[in-house]
Amino acid sequence: MKPYDAIVIGGGHNGLVCAAYLARAGRRVLVLERRERVGGAAFSEQVFPGFTFTVYSYVVSLLRPEIIRDLELPRHGLHVLPLESTLTPLANGDHLAQWSDHDQNRRALARHSPRDAEAYDEFGRTLHQMARAVKPLLGMVPPDPASLAPGDLAGLARLARHFRGMGRGVFHALHKLLTMSAADYLDEWFESEALKGTKSASGIIGTLLGPRSPGTAYVLLHHYMGELDGVFRAWGFAKGGNGSVSAAIAAAARALGAEIRTGTPVARVLVESGRATGVALESGEEIRAGRVVSSADPRRTFLELVGEAHLPGELVEAVRRFRFRGASAKVNLALDALPDFTCLPGPGAHLRGAISISPSVEYLERAYDQAKYGEFSRRPYMDIVIPSMIDPSMAPPGKHVASIFAQYAPYRLNGGWTDARREALGDAVIDTLAEYAPNLKSIILHRQVVTPADIERDVGLSEGSIFQGELSLQQLFSVRPAPGWSKYRTPVEGLYMCGAGTHPGGGVMGAPGRLAALTMLGARR
Amino acid sequence: MLRTTPFHARTAALCASHAWRRWAGYVVASSYELSHDREYHAIRSAAALLDVSPLCKYLVAGRDAARLLDRMVPRDVSRAGIGQVLYTPWCDAAGKVLDDGTIARLDETVFRVTAAEPGLRWLEANAAGLDVSIEDTSDATAALALQGPSARDILERACGADLAGLRYFRLTAARIAGHPVTISRTGYTGDLGYEIWLDAADALPVWDALVAAGTPYGITPAGMLALDVARIEAGLMLLDVDYVSARKALIESQTSSPYELDLGWTVDLGKETFVGRDALAAEAARGPAWRFVGIAVDWDSFERLFAEAGLAPRVPLAAWRTSVPLYGDGGQVGYATSGVWSPLLKQYIALAHVEARPAAPGPAREREGTREHRRRRAAAHVVKKPFFDPERKRA
Amino acid sequence: MSGATVVIGADADALVAAHYLARAGRRALVVDEREAPDAPALEPGWIPPRVVRDLALERHGLVVHAPDPWAAAPLPDGGRLELARDLARSAASTARASRRAAHRRPQFCGRMARLARVLELLYAGPPPDPLARAPGELARMAGLAWRVRRLGRRAIEDLLRVLPMPAADLLDDWFESDELKGLLGLGGVMHLAQGPRSGGTAFALLHGHVGSPPGVFRPPRSNLVEVLARLPGIEVRRGARVARITVRARRAAGIVLATGEEIAADCVVSGIDPRRTLLELVDPAWLDPELVRAVRNVRARGVVARATLLLDREPGFSALTLAPSLDDLERAHDDAKYGRVPQRPALEAHAVDEAADAAGRRRVDVHVQYAPHALAEGAWDSARRAALGDQVVALLAAHLPGGAAAVVERSVRTPLDLEAARGWPQGQMHHAELALDQALWMRPVPALAQYRTPIRALYLGGPATHPGGGIAGAAGANAAREIIRDARRGRL
Ligand SMILES: Cc1cc2nc3c(=O)[nH]c(=O)nc-3n(C[C@H](O)[C@H](O)[C@H](O)COP(=O)(O)OP(=O)(O)OC[C@H]3O[C@@H](n4cnc5c(N)ncnc54)[C@H](O)[C@@H]3O)c2cc1C
Repeated sequence: MKPYDAIVIGGGHNGLVCAAYLARAGRRVLVLERRERVGGAAFSEQVFPGFTFTVYSYVVSLLRPEIIRDLELPRHGLHVLPLESTLTPLANGDHLAQWSDHDQNRRALARHSPRDAEAYDEFGRTLHQMARAVKPLLGMVPPDPASLAPGDLAGLARLARHFRGMGRGVFHALHKLLTMSAADYLDEWFESEALKGTKSASGIIGTLLGPRSPGTAYVLLHHYMGELDGVFRAWGFAKGGNGSVSAAIAAAARALGAEIRTGTPVARVLVESGRATGVALESGEEIRAGRVVSSADPRRTFLELVGEAHLPGELVEAVRRFRFRGASAKVNLALDALPDFTCLPGPGAHLRGAISISPSVEYLERAYDQAKYGEFSRRPYMDIVIPSMIDPSMAPPGKHVASIFAQYAPYRLNGGWTDARREALGDAVIDTLAEYAPNLKSIILHRQVVTPADIERDVGLSEGSIFQGELSLQQLFSVRPAPGWSKYRTPVEGLYMCGAGTHPGGGVMGAPGRLAALTMLGARR
Repeated sequence: MLRTTPFHARTAALCASHAWRRWAGYVVASSYELSHDREYHAIRSAAALLDVSPLCKYLVAGRDAARLLDRMVPRDVSRAGIGQVLYTPWCDAAGKVLDDGTIARLDETVFRVTAAEPGLRWLEANAAGLDVSIEDTSDATAALALQGPSARDILERACGADLAGLRYFRLTAARIAGHPVTISRTGYTGDLGYEIWLDAADALPVWDALVAAGTPYGITPAGMLALDVARIEAGLMLLDVDYVSARKALIESQTSSPYELDLGWTVDLGKETFVGRDALAAEAARGPAWRFVGIAVDWDSFERLFAEAGLAPRVPLAAWRTSVPLYGDGGQVGYATSGVWSPLLKQYIALAHVEARPAAPGPAREREGTREHRRRRAAAHVVKKPFFDPERKRA
Repeated sequence: MSGATVVIGADADALVAAHYLARAGRRALVVDEREAPDAPALEPGWIPPRVVRDLALERHGLVVHAPDPWAAAPLPDGGRLELARDLARSAASTARASRRAAHRRPQFCGRMARLARVLELLYAGPPPDPLARAPGELARMAGLAWRVRRLGRRAIEDLLRVLPMPAADLLDDWFESDELKGLLGLGGVMHLAQGPRSGGTAFALLHGHVGSPPGVFRPPRSNLVEVLARLPGIEVRRGARVARITVRARRAAGIVLATGEEIAADCVVSGIDPRRTLLELVDPAWLDPELVRAVRNVRARGVVARATLLLDREPGFSALTLAPSLDDLERAHDDAKYGRVPQRPALEAHAVDEAADAAGRRRVDVHVQYAPHALAEGAWDSARRAALGDQVVALLAAHLPGGAAAVVERSVRTPLDLEAARGWPQGQMHHAELALDQALWMRPVPALAQYRTPIRALYLGGPATHPGGGIAGAAGANAAREIIRDARRGRL
C-alpha cells in the first residue's frame, strides 16, 4: 500500500480541516483520533436519551466562509442557524436586550441610556473598521519579527505597510484595543452597566483575566470579525450542535479521500535524526508517513508526543511558559419545559438568542476575584443558549436543552477538582441562574457538569484551556505558540502544528487547520 | 414592534393602503390612499397634512445655549433673532457633514434643534465647559407639517390668529383647540407651509382641529411617498439617501462637506471657530471636489431609448433612492442619488453629485438607467435647483 | 531667538522645559499656584544624562540618591532580602530567600535590562510616530528598529512577549520566592490602578528600571526640582494661579491669573495635566469635541498615599518594601478597586538620606499603595487619614528598632491631599497612568503626543506626555526641543 503523505494527530475540527485540505490537494492522509468520535471540543452527544448536548463549544461565529465553500460543508450537512439576540437579565427584574434589528436594538438600549444607544452605532463602526484592518492578519502566516530571512523581512514590510495604510484613527483605535482592558475601553463609550458588563464578557471568555485587566479588550473585536464576510449575523448555532460542524468536515475529508481512525490514541511522534517519520500508537503500532501534523495543543505536542530531547531548550522554555489556565465550565441541562425569566416572563424571541448573566463589569470582576485565588465563582458569569429553541431536533418534542457556559472555574482549584466540587459548581450555576428564572430547578430532568479538569481529561485540552492556550496579546500572532515557531512548522523537520494553539487561535474557526495545510502544501499566502 | 407616533390612532384609521414605512424606528404611512398621487397633488394645489413626529428634537437651554450651537454648526447662530429658524448642516472636525436640521430660537437662551439622526451625544460633546442643559424631547414633542397653498388659510382658521406676518423661517406661539403649539413657517416640500410642534399628549385633538379646519380647503393627509416627490422638486437632500453621515461613513470618500452638498451658504468662515472650521476654510480656498446639483433627463433622448425597444417611455412615479452613474466626456463624472418624475413639471429630475470640474450648469451629461432589462444611457443636463420654487413659499 | 514663554507648573518637567527654552534665548517665566515648593522631598525619577549635561545640573548641586541596597524586604525567618545595586553582591542575600532565585536572578536581570534599554532608546526623544511620512521621522524609526534588532532575537521576542504581560506572570515564570516577587511586583504596579495580575504591568516594571543598572527596578531619587528652581536663567513666580490661557486668532497669547493679571506670551507650555490644561484653562470651543472626549477619557486614577514618619532613632534601613507576596499585592488592589482602604496596603519606605534634624530625628518617607482616591463608603477625612497612618505605623513597627514607639511624629497625605497639594489629577503622580495604551505615541492621547496642541503656540510638557512620569525631566526636554524646532521653522 502506498505510504501516507501525512498523518494528522487529533480529529478535532482543525485536524479535520487540515486533513481535508491536504486530501483535496491529492495527498494521502490519515487522521488519528484518540476518542471514539471526532470533533474534539466541537462535539455533540446524546448524553441522555432524546436530548442532544453540544457538550463543549456551542456557538459558531468565526468559522471561515472560505472553508465552508472550499469543502462544500453545506453539502455534508452544515447549516448554521442565526442567534437573534442577547438578553441580559438584571437583578432588579429589569433586563437589557440587544437585537439584530437596528431600530429594535436602539430602542432597547435607549431605555437604559439614550447616549449608549447612539454610541452603539459609532462603537460598531469603529470595531468594524478595526476588524477590517485586522482581518488580513487572520488569513496570513505570521512573519517572524526577529528573523532576517528575505521572506520574513518581506512579510514584515507588508505588515508595516498594512498598518501604516490603515489610517491614524484606526491605527490608534487598534492600539487601544490591543492594550486596554475591556472595562476601560467600554467606559470610553458607554455608561450603562448592563451593556458594559455584557460587552466586556466577550473579553474574558477562555481567559483567567478579569474584565479590568489590560489585554481583555482585544477579544471584543472577534465579535465583529464575522460580519465582514457579509455574513448576515455573526453568531449562529449549528443545526445539531457543534458536533455537526465536525461531522460535516469529517464527511468532507472522507469524501476527498482522507482516512479517519477513531479510538486510536497516538503515544509518540517518531523522530529520526531530527525528522518526523511517523507516529507510534498507544497500542504499540507504528505508522509511517512523510509528514506528521498535530492538532493537539502545544504542550501535549511538544512535551508529550515529541519530547524535550528533540527540541531546543528555548522552545521547551516557551512551551512551559505558554499560559493555558482553563477557567471555563459547561453545564448542560435537559429540561422538561422552558425556563421562565422574571424579567421577560413566558416564551418569546428572547429565548432564541443568547442569555447572558453579566449585569455589570463589577459582577464579572467579582466573579474573577474568587478565581484568582483558586476558588470557582459563587456567582459566575454565564452565557446561556437554549439550542432546542433554535433547532427543535435537539430535544424530544416539547422538551428542551440548555447549554450554559460558565466562568470562572479555575483549573487549579484549591484542593483540586473532585466529584463533589464538580457538583458544587453545578449547584452554583443553577442557583445563580434560578435567581433570574425561578422555575429552573423544577424543570431540570438531567444535568451534565463539565469542569476544566473534565475538559482536559475528555478532550485533551491542557488545563482545560478552551482555546488551546489563552488568547492574550503575548500569545498571539507571531508568538503563537512560541516565538520563532508561529508558522505551523516545528524544529522537528516534517512535524507541523495545526490546532487552535497556533495562529490565529481558538474557537470553531478552522483557520489554523487551513493555514497549516496551505503551509504544508507550499502555498504562499 | 416598531413604535407608533402620537398621531397613530388617526393615521392608522386613514391608512387604506396599509403601506407603512420605517422612519427612525417609528412606523409612518408611505401613502394613505392606494397611490400617493393625490397626496402629492394636495401638497402643490391645496394642503397636505404630514406626520413628521419621528424627527429627532432637542431643547437646548441655558446661558451658553447660543454658544454651544455656534460652536457646533457652521452658521452664525448668535445672529438669529428670537423666533427665527435656521437650516444648517453640522460637521465633524474634518469638515464633513454629520447631519442637518433646523435650529429654532424660541427665546434668548432657548433653542429647539431638529435632526435626522439622534444627536444627544454630539450635542453633549460640544457642550464641554458650557452652561447649558440639553433635553431630548423627541418622544415628548409631536410634529405635523401642513404644506401647500392653502396651508395658511387652514392654519389661521385652526388657531384663530393672523399668520400673514409670519415670515419664511420664522416661528410663533399659538393655540390650536386650546392646546399650546409652536408654528414655524418651515417645511420639506418647497411650498408654502408650516410645521406645528406640540406636546405629544395633545396630538389627537390638534390633528382633529386641523382636519376640521382644513376640510373645506381639501386638506389631505399625505405620506412619505408624496413628500419624497415634493422634496426632490424642492432640491432638498436627505440623510442616508443623498449623503452619508460622517459618523456612519466607513471610508473617507463616503463623506461630504457642506460645500460638496451645495450648502456653502451655510458656512460662515467669519466665525472665529466652530467644529470643522479649519478644514472648511482650507476647502473653501481650494474649492470643493464635488458639487451637489439638479439633473434633468432630456425627454427626447429618453423617449428615443424606449422607442428603439418598441415601448413608450416609462417614468418613475415614486422617487427612487439608489446610486445611478452619470457620464460626461471621458467616463463617469458623478452619480445621482434620488430621482423622480415630477408630475407638475412633467420632467424627469434627480439630485446628483458631480465632480467639480465641469460643474457649471449647462453641459450635457448622460444618465444611466434600465430599459427592458438592459442598462442604457439617456442624455441629461444640470439644471438649477430647486426644480420648483413657487413665489408663495416665501411670500 | 527671543520671545516670552510662560510655563505653567513648577514641577521637574516644566522647569526643565523652561531652562531649555531659556538657553535657546527665550524669556521663560514659570508660574505655579503653590506658594512654596512641596516639602523638600526627594522625587523619584531617573534623569536622562543628556538633561544633566545640558543644564549642568551637577555643577548646581544635583544630588542623586541611589541607595544601596536599593531594596530590602523582610523574610519570614526574621532576616532580610537585600538587593544590592551590584548583582553579584546581592547573590548571597537572594539565596536566603531562595536558592533558585539566586541562581536565576542574574539571567532574569540581564534580559530585563536589555528590554529596559529598548525603552531608554525610545524615551530619549519625542515618541516615534509609526504612521509618519516625513523622511526625518522615517529615518529615526529605521534607526530605532535597527538598534532594537541588534539586541538580538531574544530581546525582540521578549519585547513582544513581556511588555503586555502581567508582572505576576513574568515573575512567576522566573521565581518562587514570595518576598522577591512581592518586592519586584510592587514595581509593576507603582502608581497604577492595577494589580500585579493585570496585563501590561510588566511594562510598568520595566519603566521603573530604565536608566538603572541591571536588576535595579526602582528609579533613583534626587533633589532635581530644588536644583532646577534655583538654577539661574528663568523666572519662577509662585502663588500665581492661572485662571485662563488666552487664545487669540487661534493661537495661545498668554495667560490670565486668578487675580486678573494678564501675562502676554508668544508661547505657553503646560506642565500640569492635560485635562485641566485643555478643558479648564482653555475654552474648549477651540478643540474638536472628539479630542475633548479623548482628553476626558485619559485615565488618571490616584492609588497612592504618602506617609512621612519622624523617628527618634536610626531606622535601620535605607529602603524597605512590605509587599510579602504577589497575592498580598493583588488583594490590596482588590480592596482598592472597590473603593476600600486595603487591610494590608503595600508599603515602600525610604530613609531620607539627610543628617538628623536638630532634635536628632530621622525622616522616613513611605509610599502607601493602594489608597483609592474615592472611597466607596464615606470620604477621606482626618479620622480616616489618621487611621491610615496607624495602619502604616503598625505594619512598619515590626521592622523598626524600638517598634512603633520609635515613631514620634507622622503625617499622611491621601490621594485627595496630593491632588490638592501637588495638582495631581485624582492624586495620580504621573498625570496619566503609565499603561501601554497611554504610552509612546498614545501619550496622553494620540493627537497630543508630539507635545503640540491644536492651539498654536500652546504645548504640553508635563509627565502626561512621553516618556511620562518617573523619567524626570525627559518630557519637558522633549517638549522644549519641539518648541525650539517650531520656532526655528517659523511655526511658533
Ligand atoms: C467548554 C468549551 C466551550 C467552548 N465554546 C466555544 C464556542 O461557543 N464557540 C467557539 O467558537 N469556540 C468555543 N470553544 C473553543 C473551541 O471549541 C476550540 O477552541 C476548538 O474546538 C479547538 O479545536 P481544535 O481542533 O484546534 O482542537 P481540539 O478540539 O482540542 O481537538 C484536538 C483533538 O486532538 C485529539 N487528541 C489529542 N491528543 C491526541 C493524541 N495523543 N492522539 C490522538 N488524538 C489526540 C483530541 O481528542 C481532540 O479530538 C469552546 C471550548 C470549550 C472547551
